Amino acid sequence: MNRLTHLPTLRIQPSKALSLTYNKKRLTGVEGDSVATALYANGIRIFSRSVKYHRPRGLYSLDGESSNCFMAVDGVPNTRTCTTLLKDGMTVNPQNVIGTPEHDWLFFLDYFGWAMPAGFYHRHFHRPYVLWPTFRKWIRKAAGFGNVSKNWEGGIYDELHLNTDVTVIGGGPAGMSAALAAANQGLRIVLIEGRPWLGGFFEYSPEPYTLDIPRYERARELAREIEKHPNIRWFCHTYLMGLYGNHQITAFQKGGEKDYFDERYIEVRSQSVVVATGCIERPLIFEHNERPGVMQVGCAHRLARTYGLLPGTKAVFSVGHDQGLEAALDLHQLGLKIPAVADIRFDGQNPDLVDRLNKSEIRYMRGWVAGKVYGHHQTSKITLRSTEGTREESYDCDVVVASAGHTPVSGPLIMAQAKLRFDLHTGFFLPHRLPGNVHPAGRLWGLTDPHAIECSGMMAGLKAAADCGAADDNRLKDLKEKLKELPGPERGTKLAISPGKPGKQFVCFDEDVTVKNIYQACDMGFDVPELNKRFTAAGTGPGQWGIPGHNLPLVISKYHADSTIPPMPTTIRPPMAPTLMATYAGKRHNIFKRTPAHEWQEKAHAIFRRVGVWKRARYFSKDYSCKTEIETVHQAVGIIDVSTLGKFRLFGPDALKALQRVYIGDMSTVKKGRVKYSAMCNDDGCLIDDGVVTLTAENDYYFTTSTGRAGTTVEWIRYHTRYDGWNFHLVNLTDAYGAINLAGPKARKVLSELTDDDLSNEAFPFTGYREMTLAGKIPARVMRLGFVGELSFEMHVSSSMTGYLWKCLMEAGKPFGIRPFGLEAQNVLRMQKGHVIIGQESEIRTTLHDLGMGGLWYKKPESKTVGAVALKQTKHQKDRLKLVGFKMVEPSDPKRAPKDGSIIVNDTIRGHVCTARYSFILNEAIGLALVEDKYAGIGTQLEIFEDGSDHQRLHAQVVKPPFYDIEGHRIRM
Amino acid sequence: MFGKYKRLWKKSRLKSSYDAVIIGGGLHGISTAYFLAKNYGMTDVAILEKRYIGFGGAGRNTAIVRANQRTKENLRLYDEGLKLWPKLMQELDFNMLFFNCGNLNLAHSEAGMSALRLQVASAQFHGIQSELVNAKQCKELVPVLDISDRLAFPIFGGMYHPPGGTLRPESVLWGIAKGASQKGVQIHQETEVKSLEIKNNKVVSVKTGDGKKIHTPRVLNAAGGYSALIANMAGIRLPVDVLPIQAMVSQPLKPFLDHVVSSGVYHAYANQSLKGEVVTGSHMDPWPGYTTQVTARYIKHQAEALTELMPCLRGVKFMRTWGGLADMTPDMAPIIDGNHPIDGFYIDCGWGYFGFKSAPVTGKYMAKFMATGKCPEILKPFTMKRFAQHRLSGETASPVNYGPWN
Repeated sequence: MNRLTHLPTLRIQPSKALSLTYNKKRLTGVEGDSVATALYANGIRIFSRSVKYHRPRGLYSLDGESSNCFMAVDGVPNTRTCTTLLKDGMTVNPQNVIGTPEHDWLFFLDYFGWAMPAGFYHRHFHRPYVLWPTFRKWIRKAAGFGNVSKNWEGGIYDELHLNTDVTVIGGGPAGMSAALAAANQGLRIVLIEGRPWLGGFFEYSPEPYTLDIPRYERARELAREIEKHPNIRWFCHTYLMGLYGNHQITAFQKGGEKDYFDERYIEVRSQSVVVATGCIERPLIFEHNERPGVMQVGCAHRLARTYGLLPGTKAVFSVGHDQGLEAALDLHQLGLKIPAVADIRFDGQNPDLVDRLNKSEIRYMRGWVAGKVYGHHQTSKITLRSTEGTREESYDCDVVVASAGHTPVSGPLIMAQAKLRFDLHTGFFLPHRLPGNVHPAGRLWGLTDPHAIECSGMMAGLKAAADCGAADDNRLKDLKEKLKELPGPERGTKLAISPGKPGKQFVCFDEDVTVKNIYQACDMGFDVPELNKRFTAAGTGPGQWGIPGHNLPLVISKYHADSTIPPMPTTIRPPMAPTLMATYAGKRHNIFKRTPAHEWQEKAHAIFRRVGVWKRARYFSKDYSCKTEIETVHQAVGIIDVSTLGKFRLFGPDALKALQRVYIGDMSTVKKGRVKYSAMCNDDGCLIDDGVVTLTAENDYYFTTSTGRAGTTVEWIRYHTRYDGWNFHLVNLTDAYGAINLAGPKARKVLSELTDDDLSNEAFPFTGYREMTLAGKIPARVMRLGFVGELSFEMHVSSSMTGYLWKCLMEAGKPFGIRPFGLEAQNVLRMQKGHVIIGQESEIRTTLHDLGMGGLWYKKPESKTVGAVALKQTKHQKDRLKLVGFKMVEPSDPKRAPKDGSIIVNDTIRGHVCTARYSFILNEAIGLALVEDKYAGIGTQLEIFEDGSDHQRLHAQVVKPPFYDIEGHRIRM
Repeated sequence: MFGKYKRLWKKSRLKSSYDAVIIGGGLHGISTAYFLAKNYGMTDVAILEKRYIGFGGAGRNTAIVRANQRTKENLRLYDEGLKLWPKLMQELDFNMLFFNCGNLNLAHSEAGMSALRLQVASAQFHGIQSELVNAKQCKELVPVLDISDRLAFPIFGGMYHPPGGTLRPESVLWGIAKGASQKGVQIHQETEVKSLEIKNNKVVSVKTGDGKKIHTPRVLNAAGGYSALIANMAGIRLPVDVLPIQAMVSQPLKPFLDHVVSSGVYHAYANQSLKGEVVTGSHMDPWPGYTTQVTARYIKHQAEALTELMPCLRGVKFMRTWGGLADMTPDMAPIIDGNHPIDGFYIDCGWGYFGFKSAPVTGKYMAKFMATGKCPEILKPFTMKRFAQHRLSGETASPVNYGPWN
């Protein structure tokens, strides 16, 4: 197809050819083409088939408002080819056809439209029920557009998180004027524009802006100002996704040839937002209004002006606005034959345009509208009808340029919770109540005059500047005066549906919804747009409201002919433009915390697991029973990284009061040189945390929490003391300190290699706390604890020293057979001692009493300890799940532990296994379980049901924990 | 074709008295009304809905159904609920698009597998199909899963529950509304309840937004996300935190995902609707609120999670996201009560994000409760008294965290 190459508005480089493969054929486009325009230039007219009726569909719009132009581009299904820039070597394939879009074997479905009324799938297929799965399979296959490419690799997806003063959405005349006005107040501006260039509807229009400057020239002038303004950061080919509370916007930018990214997720926070998104066209509804060859005014006009393509040879126009007349004149001048222009309006046109139409010998028909399009696959003829439907005239043509008028893109306003109201003059939904710091501009107010649009843009820019504290009230006042003198909003057409049969008048292309379907749904009680769209699916397709958005409320309003209720807009939801998950995911950061001894464990071949925010070593060999690790701790000495424990300093005159409030023990007994083990409960008496507390100086406490509570403890304590006005300070030292536990009978010998302090059991007994210097230079807090059941020293040192301490301990321990051990070994070791891990042995409904830890509770009513009331109330409560120890007994294998999570049953479920393992040192399978109190007595026989075990049960007997070193000698060695 | 297009539910004038008034035109309210009329002949029932039916959770949820809960109390209820869908489709002559595609719940650690084992064993013990599968079997079920260790949380295995699946939420609502209306139940949309009148500790009437007084001896609070506000009218403070929850769909695609896939660790689930859209949801906002506005953060999070679990989704586009309210109790089990502490005042709320799958079956028993005045055995565990007694349900394993007070 020959291109028009002389136009100043072209955005293509006709001399630079690019190749693409379409449906296995090699075609050529030119640089600057969109995929759709390249195909159009190659004579492709049928772009797709509709989802339900498989009707042929062609290029209708160039701004991605419908699924008509959807194809699979480079493996990405459902790509809007009209907004996708052509790149050399692209592979493009049609979707949802058996055969080709021209010859689709499913074409016959179009003849069964009568059988698929609104919501038809609710009325059929389910009787008899046995047939439903078959129908369902068929429905599934028929639904959907493209195919996912399972091995799609994608490219580079970048992320940008910006902060600015004013965000301007839309790079048309209003948006650019707003950006410049605000930027000239010294503010920083981010401007985003969907098309690959700035300019909006000025950009391709040869109509005069002033007497000697055409609009396209004005657009370029403004664009140059934007581009060179130091305060403005502008992004073209960038689609708005969402406008959220606090003036946060998200958008994505499509990468061009020179960009290093394929797409870029952009999130901007600003003080104020200008919405200058302009208008799209309101589709004209007539019979076969989506036949290939029918297109919007902007589509036909931009095909020629931007891409140098005349849309066809002979076109009939049916429009409702002056811009349609302008386009007809311009296209006529460019060589398109136009036998007739039907204008819905009887009056209100710009007389100059009418004059020019008459001079061009184009038949101009006031009060006429497209009635019906003929043509099997493509438009061949159109019947025009007078708006009251009494007269008809037919014309042969291959293109019908149709538009009922405009409709503002007010989605961003709706997302920002603005309220819109139907305006009788323009026929638009115009802003009625706006949220703070959101300023619509230009055509969103219904303005059409170029100067009024710019003026409105400047005003919005200044209002936004005022939000940022850079007001210029005088200028704003002047602009307000100026705007009053400029032409106001044009009167819009009210026509929703042209006279004709509603069965083939399409309101929504994506979902194949006709006027008839809308009425059917109304009959069934879905007579407001919000309900109707759900029942008919109009507007819920991938065109995302672009085609039916404005018409659906009008059609429904027409259904209620006698109603005085004005049409209501429906909710617009993000994303405004369909957005790849790859783009949303962006860089896909994998954020986690590594302990300060991470590398040293890596060197020791640790197998790590993500535990909450941390990566922790679970095993140190592929032997997942951890035999060697466990035996080393029992017999020699092991070392484990416990840096993830929560570590806190709490100090100040009221520190003790705060501790008494949250810990269930008596914290007044905490003293220097000793640690006290205690626990925290919630208001239900449920154990939520445990750890040790020590006093390091007067009113100065140091305490630990479990790993999972490290993040919430500060808030927990603050929350539960919020009304008391106590004077204390809390510091979360979790990341400031690393922690290493050295455990095993030879732990003392290893540690004494690093210090000269007296580590003897007399000088530093169990539950002792000492501050000492290790390896000559590491200041350390050392405590003697017994979680794993052997003599152990837990050392807390600054994070920067932790790795070094690990190394020193490993070296010092070498002669004693030291080995690192991981979480699984620790899990077995502590279970042998009957020590609980919160969340593993406890549930949301497990109180301290249920765990047998009621002894930790000390009554101190004056402290109003969190959970104390519940602990009192539940102390003697019956029918609760209790934690018990058990061992496996005959006839089950006493050495085979049941799997964690197995359930304990008789006639019904009575509890479950929390942790169970084979104990190497005891040579038997033991475990901890939560069971109903009736089954918690020592000696009770338990039946265990494992998943997949059919009716085989395992047998166990309740025993009293601890299982190992019952007197606790080994931790006190 | 096939006859005229009649209203699915009739329009009627609001009367001044009813045998029962149901507050909330959601699934629980409408189901209860339907079963009151069908099973107990109580047809003089009005459903009062402030907006339009299905405005709340009923029209905003993602319609996943399953019966692989953690506790035996819930297993019984949901198992019966799951078996009810085909029956309802027949009974109501309305296709609710039940798709029993099976649910695959992923585990990403040893502890995760143990947690699933408890659910699987409990389900199997109750004769409900459910099994533990390893990572390779997960991949066989859902070939687009990435079971390599490239993931931040590699897939260890999962729980496969074949009888679960999805429906289309609105069609369930419309179908039951149609059934209820046919039996004489009145559905009044755009009718707000402003206050309750209680005399001698007994419900007497409700007052609507336009000042009408409706006498009734029975009121059901089935207002979903707004149920705490209705309970307040009766002077009852419900232990409910309302949290916004968001969901989203992709563009429609040809079938490629045959099961509901979910991962607790990634806070994500996804399934492909009969229409071809990938329907996915995420966890709740981390703070309470009554807004149904969406945030930028969650859709991004969802994309991060899903593209990691199923890399081919990178090439799939999100089309729409929306928000709804989840009325969360401290133990994620519902609150079902009646005649306590006020005679004639019934409560069915606190379902959080389980309201859809439980609706028809709860409605069935709730109807029994309201018709007889006695709580059916199956609903007894959900009494509000459990909170006063510190006997929380074990449906969620760990204490919830809606704010610093939990």
